[in-house]
Amino acid sequence: MSIVVANGLTHWFGSEVALESIDLAIDAGEHMAVLGENGAGKTTLLRILATAARPTSGRLQIMGLDALRERKRLRARIGFVAHAPGLYPALSATENLEFFCILQGVRKTKVAETLALVGLSEVAKRPAGQLSRGMQQRLAIGRAIIHDPKLLVLDEPDASLGSDAADLLAALMRDRTVVLATHDHALANRLCQRTLVLRHGRSLGTPTRLHLVQ
Amino acid sequence: MTNSFSVAVAVARKDLTAEWRTRELVPALAQFVVLALVIANFGFQIDAHNAPSIAPGVLWFALVFAGLVAFGRAFAAEREQASLEAMLMTPASPVAIFAGKALAAALLLVVCEAVLLPALALFFGTPISAPIVAAVLLATIGMAALGCLFAAMVARMRSRELLLPLLTLPLWIPFIVAGGHAVQVAMGASGSYDQALALLLDFDILFVVLTSLAARFVLDE
Repeated sequence: MSIVVANGLTHWFGSEVALESIDLAIDAGEHMAVLGENGAGKTTLLRILATAARPTSGRLQIMGLDALRERKRLRARIGFVAHAPGLYPALSATENLEFFCILQGVRKTKVAETLALVGLSEVAKRPAGQLSRGMQQRLAIGRAIIHDPKLLVLDEPDASLGSDAADLLAALMRDRTVVLATHDHALANRLCQRTLVLRHGRSLGTPTRLHLVQ
Repeated sequence: MTNSFSVAVAVARKDLTAEWRTRELVPALAQFVVLALVIANFGFQIDAHNAPSIAPGVLWFALVFAGLVAFGRAFAAEREQASLEAMLMTPASPVAIFAGKALAAALLLVVCEAVLLPALALFFGTPISAPIVAAVLLATIGMAALGCLFAAMVARMRSRELLLPLLTLPLWIPFIVAGGHAVQVAMGASGSYDQALALLLDFDILFVVLTSLAARFVLDE
C-alpha cells in the first residue's frame, strides 16, 4: 500500500519553476532517496511532502489523507528534518525535546529514550547553542522522531553528522517510510531502496541502486 | 492530542526562560525607557504644575516604542533560529502558539513597565497609583495581541523593521487614546476614568478575538 501518492506536483517561485509535474508513489516502509544538484528542487519537494509548503498545483495524498487539507492531522504522523536545525539555543537538549513533546502531545518520558537513540545522553543538560553543529543536527533528528512518526522526511540529514551518519540514520529509518534528500550517492545507495533524481525541478526517473553504482 | 492551553503556556515559558538566560531584551528595554524619560525630563520645562499633563504623553511614547521592540523580537528570534517552522510542523494549534508568544511578549513588556512607572514617578514627580497601573496593564493586553500578530506577519519580510511600526501604530491608537485618557484622569485631569477603562477593556476583547482568528492564517500560510 502506498503511503505517499503525488500526482503532477508543481511549484513556482514567482516566474521560476521549482518543481514540474512530479508523480510519486511511495510504499509503506519504503526508503526513497531524492538526489540532484543544488537548485534541482529537492528541498521544495521535501517541504511539500512534509506539509511545510503547499504546491502551486497537483495532488498529494499521504496515508490516505489529502495533504493540502488535512495538514494538522498529518503533522502528528510526519517527522521532518529541515536544512536548519531550528533549535532554541538557550534551552538545553532535554528542554528542547520536552518543549516539542508538549507541542506533539506525547509524554516527556520519551525524551531520555530519544536522546539515547541519537547519542546525546551525555550532553542532555547542555544548552543547544553550545552543542557542535553535528550534535545540533542529531538533536533536530531526535525532535523529528520523538512522536514516532510513520513518515520521516529528511532534508540532507547527513550534513555535519560525522562518520557514523549512515549507522545512525539506518537505525532511525527502520520500520518507517522515509524520503531522504542527500548529495551523498553512496549513502543513498546504502539506506534507500529507490531513488528519485531531480534536475531543474523535473524527475529523471527512479533508477535502481545498480544504476547509481554504475 | 495536544492541549491548546498547555501549548500556549509551554511556548510562553520557553520564551521567558530563553530571555531569563540570555537577558537580551529586558535590560535593553529598561535602559531605553529610562533614557526616554531622561530626554523628556530635559526636553520639557517640568514643574509641579505641568507634570501631570506632560507625564501621560511621555509614558505612552516610551511604552509604544518599547512595545514595538518587544513584540518585534517575539517572532524575529524565531525567524533567526528557523524554529517557527519546527513549531508549526507539530499538530499544535497555531492560535495556541500565537497566544503563547503574545503572552510572553506582554509579560516582558510588563517587566519593562515595572521600571517605567517608578522612573516616571521619579522624574516627573507623579505618584504611581493603582488606576494608572490598571490602565497600562489593560492597554498592554491589546497592544501585545496586535503587535505580535503584525510581528508574525512581517517576520519573513526583508523590510520588517520598517513595516512593523507602519502596520501596528495606527491600530494601537485606540489604546493610546483610551489609555492616555485614563492615565490623565488618574493624574488629576477631568473626565471619567471608568469610561476610559471600560473602553480599554472593550478594545482588548475586540482585538484579542480578532487577532486569534487571524493568527491561524498568518502563522500557518
